[in-house]
Amino acid sequence: MIRDASTVVWKEWREFRDQLLSLRRGGLSALILALILGVVAPVQLGPDWVRSKIIVAYWPFLAATMVSSLIADSVAGERERHTLETLLASRLSDSSIVIGKIVAAVLYGVGFAVVNLAIGLVAVNIAHSQSAPILFTVQRLSATLVLTLLASLLMAGIGVFISLRASTVKQAQQAFGIAIIVLTMGPLLAYNALSYDTRLRIVTRLAALGETRIELYAVAGLTLLSVIVIAGALARFRRGKLVLD
Amino acid sequence: MSTSYDFAIRAEGLTRDFGPVRALDTLTLDVPKGIVFGFLGPNGAGKTTAIRVFLGLLDPTAGHAEVLGYDTKRHGTKIRTRCGALLEHPGLYERLSAADNLEFHGRAWHVSRREREDRIRELLNRFGLWERRDDPVGTWSRGMKQKLAVARAVLHRPDLVFLDEPTSGLDPVSTVGLREDLSALAAQEGVTVFLTTHNLSEAERLCTQVGVIRGGRLLAVGSPESLRASRDTGRVEILTHGLLDDVVALVRARPGVESASAENGTLTLALTPGAPTAPIVTLLVEQGVAVEEVRKVRATLEDAFLGLMGLEDDANGGGL
Repeated sequence: MIRDASTVVWKEWREFRDQLLSLRRGGLSALILALILGVVAPVQLGPDWVRSKIIVAYWPFLAATMVSSLIADSVAGERERHTLETLLASRLSDSSIVIGKIVAAVLYGVGFAVVNLAIGLVAVNIAHSQSAPILFTVQRLSATLVLTLLASLLMAGIGVFISLRASTVKQAQQAFGIAIIVLTMGPLLAYNALSYDTRLRIVTRLAALGETRIELYAVAGLTLLSVIVIAGALARFRRGKLVLD
Repeated sequence: MSTSYDFAIRAEGLTRDFGPVRALDTLTLDVPKGIVFGFLGPNGAGKTTAIRVFLGLLDPTAGHAEVLGYDTKRHGTKIRTRCGALLEHPGLYERLSAADNLEFHGRAWHVSRREREDRIRELLNRFGLWERRDDPVGTWSRGMKQKLAVARAVLHRPDLVFLDEPTSGLDPVSTVGLREDLSALAAQEGVTVFLTTHNLSEAERLCTQVGVIRGGRLLAVGSPESLRASRDTGRVEILTHGLLDDVVALVRARPGVESASAENGTLTLALTPGAPTAPIVTLLVEQGVAVEEVRKVRATLEDAFLGLMGLEDDANGGGL
């Protein structure tokens, strides 16, 4: 299964690569984004860019956004470009196709975050050089990377799940957009609907938990959601149904 | 006695419904190994559905099929491992180069790196595509894409290849080129080819056996010759000089002659089965007619196909 999934990853990456190398098809926007996030923001914010607690949420969010920009295409794109039936007629198993597509997208999101973190760190240290190098703490960097991985995984799982039933990429993107709005805005709206006292209690409780515990809860929550969504995508992948869609 | 090992495909009572529509209707078919089998039928006849069932992509509603000895319902992955397919669309990744498209499929079928390199070079050279191997496939002509899709289907040296309308949409020159390539490929690779088409001349040139399907039902199966023979009308054409109406009347009166007509010196006869032609030629010569050529008019596969379609219409009491 690993070998077959890595074959799918290889193919997906070849397609991403060709897309990124073409400025017209997305390479330019990726380059601009990398310049802003990897160079401009770190230079402007200086050491705060490294030391701020917000990076633990910021990079997972950015990586998930990068994943969301391409994952809707994963199955719906194959269907739209008439390559899906040939893929289904191959010897690749259902799980290797689903996992391969998810892993390829996750690598893209995590890769984007890691490259920008590295460029940003270099940019900060050049622009704001101090006697000692400005570095992330091990715990914050570890938490950022793990949460980035899990946020990308969740986003990729949702994307594949939706893309499996969408007949066009556009339809998949629309459904995916709605799902993301529900997922991100839903908890915020629910929170705002609570009474002032309840909100205060929640904030007080969270503050009492401390940074490490909050990160661990976030890891557990994202892991659970990812497992559910990926299991759903695997269950939804039915050759007999897909070949007729 | 033949066993399932002698056949690439065995289907028995294969039926597939899509809601109220019956796409395959009790299809019973044996395709021997090592031949090029043509599955002929008009659009919507059930050809593509049959391929999907044989590849284990769709389960039959009733009946069963074995491909390379494996049950299509239970062993889809094993079947797909040993088969190659060019389906309704070429199914190529247009952003990728030809070499990358083949590389992906080689990896998917666990072809070793060394063999992949050799095989990709061999196939691209054979189809005349090697020089453009690094170009994105999206920039290629339809004929080139079809050739590449055929190359992909045989890359892993499958035992059985499904080709669904391989020359569909190609111009005549590309069609002839691809047909020649397919013919050579089948001969050199010793692979069983299951080809669907509604191009009858293509089937006649390529196929060892053909099956005619319509409305999901198999109407006839056999060699192109046997199907043609079943439609032979016993017609004979005699090219002459000096043919007069009274001689035609004499011929018409001969035993075994069902009808005779003349036009521009060509005498066209419909003979009863087994009736000899030689006495008629002798009669013509005795009457002073110069006989230049005598030829039996053979039915084409197209005649046989259209005949079967006509019979089916008659049986259904309707037209197409």
